[in-house]
Amino acid sequence: MDSAQKPLELILARNLITSLSTPAFLVGEDGALLFYNEAAGALLGMSFEESGRMAAHEWLATFGPFDEFGQPIAVDDLPLTRSLRDGRPAHAEFCIRSTKGTEHSIEASALPIVGAGSASSGAMIIFWPVDEQERRRVATAT
Amino acid sequence: MKLTVWGARGSVPAPGPEMNRYGGNTSCVELTLSDGETLILDAGTGIRNLGVKLAASMPKINILLTHLHLDHIQGLMFFPPCFQADSKITIWGPSSPEATLENRIARYISAPLSPVEVRELPCEVSFRDAPVTEWEIGSATIRAEAVTHRGPTLGYRISDGDETLCYIPDHEPALGAPLDDLEPEWISGHDLACGADMLLHDCQYTDEEYPAHVGWGHSRLTDTLTFARRVETERLMLFHHDPLHSDAFLDSFADTAAQRWEQLGGDPQKLELAAERSAAEVSSAGLAAARP
Repeated sequence: MDSAQKPLELILARNLITSLSTPAFLVGEDGALLFYNEAAGALLGMSFEESGRMAAHEWLATFGPFDEFGQPIAVDDLPLTRSLRDGRPAHAEFCIRSTKGTEHSIEASALPIVGAGSASSGAMIIFWPVDEQERRRVATAT
Repeated sequence: MKLTVWGARGSVPAPGPEMNRYGGNTSCVELTLSDGETLILDAGTGIRNLGVKLAASMPKINILLTHLHLDHIQGLMFFPPCFQADSKITIWGPSSPEATLENRIARYISAPLSPVEVRELPCEVSFRDAPVTEWEIGSATIRAEAVTHRGPTLGYRISDGDETLCYIPDHEPALGAPLDDLEPEWISGHDLACGADMLLHDCQYTDEEYPAHVGWGHSRLTDTLTFARRVETERLMLFHHDPLHSDAFLDSFADTAAQRWEQLGGDPQKLELAAERSAAEVSSAGLAAARP
């Protein structure tokens, strides 16, 4: 695993999400998982201290983003990938599976992190668990 | 390399009889390289006195700015070589997507803050963004990296032969992150300072003062010492003294710092507080202090 000094913008992003009670991920420019906060660990069933850093294919396989029909979501369609690829924010709703087997519907927003030299350093992904009952109520009402 | 401190105060000049020994001038350090060339680190008010010394003998001058807060550039307009036609001054500093280095500095050296404009300075002055890769000035190899402070801010690592000095006068690496637990690659400034023979580092606050200043971009004693241990520097000079800290206060602070440094495994003889007009030799075998 690459252990070179991280660019300042990634260091500051990590410091920021450490302080958030909203679940959040930090990935490098290659999509590798660099860090997630305690709130994300609670949702994923495993703390970052337990999981450590993971290559993109590892964490995708571990937490398995899938759609409402249980089908895996193509990597290219994930907000994270779109954000890294396009250098734009991206948002989507999908499901993940914790290491304890619990499934969670989430909304996720990915923000590209671009440093002072205009080079992409990675992305920050913040996600919100979707309340299933509330979603059904809204769907019924509309 | 030989360094001389011309200003060690942070934030704002703090003149007064109770400040005379550590000095009231803001950040400026003169670094004399092995080939005799001089680098100037920051241009706080301390650069005025340095300029008086240099004016008659130094037509070619390189100034490395860490950032453009006023306590790091205020002395530029009173730097005698700026007003000598035969001076060639190169000013290096952090880049910004917003404006060139020259235009950002010109906000200070222009009306209504200044009676002269940059273009009116009689010297030959040029402005250069600090490169993202190492570069050389005289016998020194220089590396600049962004560090945690408010606004775009650099730290510098300067190597001359086998001697290395790291200068990070404004730095809050522990903001939102306990330095004891972080892996090195997640510590702001770690690579820059790693293994340096000497580290000049921000230590503006006592541990007791810091809670009221979290996020202001400066370090408390505990974080400075921890950072220095994590980067395994040979010698540490505490810098950027708070303008409220008198000589008597800083003497006491120095004693506390030395005790804490020793508890962390450091040599208390290799920790000192920067004092105006003090000089020191940076050497790879440690540093021999040479107060004037």
